[in-house]
Amino acid sequence: MDRALKARLEARFGDVLSGPLRQRHDETEIRIAARDVPDVLRALHDEPAFEFQLLADLAGVDTGDHMQVVYHLWSSTSSDWLRVIADDLSREAPRAPSVTFLWTGAEWLEREAYDMFGIRFEGNRDLRRIFMPPDYTSFPLRKDFFLPDDAARSPGAGSRHMERSAPPSAVPAGTVRRSKA
Amino acid sequence: MATTPHQHASADDPRVLLDDHMGLYEPIPPYPPRTEREQEFYTLGDGEMFLNAGPHHLATHGVLRVVMKLDGERIVDVDPVLGYLHRGVEKLCENADFHQTIAYMDPLEYVASLFCEWPAVMAYEKLLDVEVPRRAEYIRVLTGELNRVSSHLLAMGFHALDLGGITPILYSFIERDEIVEMLAAITGQRMLFNYFRIGGVNGDLNHDFMSRLGDWMSRAGQQVAANAALLNENEIFVQRNRGVGTMDRVTAIKHCWTGPNLRASGVPFDLRRAHPYSVYPELDFDIPTRAEGDSLARYLLRIDEVKQSLRIIDQCLHQMPDGPVMAKLPRLLRPRPGRAFAAIEGPRGEYGIYAVSDGTDQPFRFRIHDPSFLHLQSFTTLAPGGLIADWMTLNASLDPIMGGIDK
Repeated sequence: MDRALKARLEARFGDVLSGPLRQRHDETEIRIAARDVPDVLRALHDEPAFEFQLLADLAGVDTGDHMQVVYHLWSSTSSDWLRVIADDLSREAPRAPSVTFLWTGAEWLEREAYDMFGIRFEGNRDLRRIFMPPDYTSFPLRKDFFLPDDAARSPGAGSRHMERSAPPSAVPAGTVRRSKA
Repeated sequence: MATTPHQHASADDPRVLLDDHMGLYEPIPPYPPRTEREQEFYTLGDGEMFLNAGPHHLATHGVLRVVMKLDGERIVDVDPVLGYLHRGVEKLCENADFHQTIAYMDPLEYVASLFCEWPAVMAYEKLLDVEVPRRAEYIRVLTGELNRVSSHLLAMGFHALDLGGITPILYSFIERDEIVEMLAAITGQRMLFNYFRIGGVNGDLNHDFMSRLGDWMSRAGQQVAANAALLNENEIFVQRNRGVGTMDRVTAIKHCWTGPNLRASGVPFDLRRAHPYSVYPELDFDIPTRAEGDSLARYLLRIDEVKQSLRIIDQCLHQMPDGPVMAKLPRLLRPRPGRAFAAIEGPRGEYGIYAVSDGTDQPFRFRIHDPSFLHLQSFTTLAPGGLIADWMTLNASLDPIMGGIDK
């Protein structure tokens, strides 16, 4: 646990933290509102007191009543992983600012979070599905997406799973693109 | 063939498969563009054409499709299409108990399975506040480094194979087979070891393993050097790699690169030193880096890493303490609600696991971070401007594994 980092974070970001700063093992965790993500991450990335220049992970989380985007950062100035949780995304229309202006590599990480949770990252130039087929309409890692009934211990045990794709008739006429070749 | 060329492609629509099966692999997708980037990519300029590499292509190291926009033989832009190997491992893990999830980790990284199990057990051990016995930590490092050597040897062999050299892969498989056999002696598996357990490892080292390891260590250094000599001074190999896919250090960090690819761009970042875990602080080894950042540098860096791994294996054998290899834990694990992130340095970079527990015996959220995913993303930056043949070089030197990319 890096106590000095805790003091530095509280001094710098005390007014934007939306929850308690927690430390456990080699991790320090702060919670902020999604709208503060660009400012906070830019400060963490640029300011010499922090210099969290490596984005170790970007994950979406569905807590069951709201959505989160979780960033893990590494810095040479601290022995801890820094976990930044953007905490207040609605489940109906989850939106978060993109961090591709700091890390180009976040583009695909955000595409993955969009594909799995439906979180729309504003500012990502290429936010489309990455693993699931393009005509897929569900978001598989959301908690209201149940596995098929062969997973006996899943909450969906005994019920049909929720995979649905758009029927061909749902595609507007004239929008189908044709190949030159 | 169908008369209507582009049906709305859907797995539910049998006509797609029956009448228009070629349409599935048409480079231009049969739906309107969803983003500006897609619109821009799939609009052809004057004299440009599309070429599909994959999903079944020998040089893609897995089931990957790369759509290339070409001007003659020069690549203008690329669009990797993923998901052919997507199994939804994260979802499966969120519906399996903590012990079961470790078995799902192996196929993610089928060339170096131990490195995907490792962050998962580390994250769980943090959730449970378990102290791992020191002998177990040493065994993890020992088997992990063996696995790293086998993975790097395979990467070197396939690198040459992708460029048309058949021989090096045969020689690297001789060494890899030795390593795989000795790991099979303690894990019972040749590829998907499933060896690490929450709180330790599945079994202690045995006589079969130790005698094989002793035999192999006596000649490993020489053999690796001999294999490398096949390629290092091969004029064709060097010419095809030098200056291809050059990444500078700032862009590499921006692209979230880790592992040998990042170190070949001159950044001495290795989680074994940058964020020490297990018993690596007690071991003496160097972190090789190279300044060039091209495909040749990435290849040469892997050879340097193999030498360091052999050093670590040697030290592990001398320093390994006696004792138990498993912590005492109940069979049914219910960690207190909490969050844990663990990351380790694998042969391709940082493998990370973010596990959230809600107090039940299944992880509430299980996030897998795979380095190959981010290296593959850089195709769109590195491939344009090069030839199609350079793309093979680039792909081989970045060494992505599709199992982890597609999850």
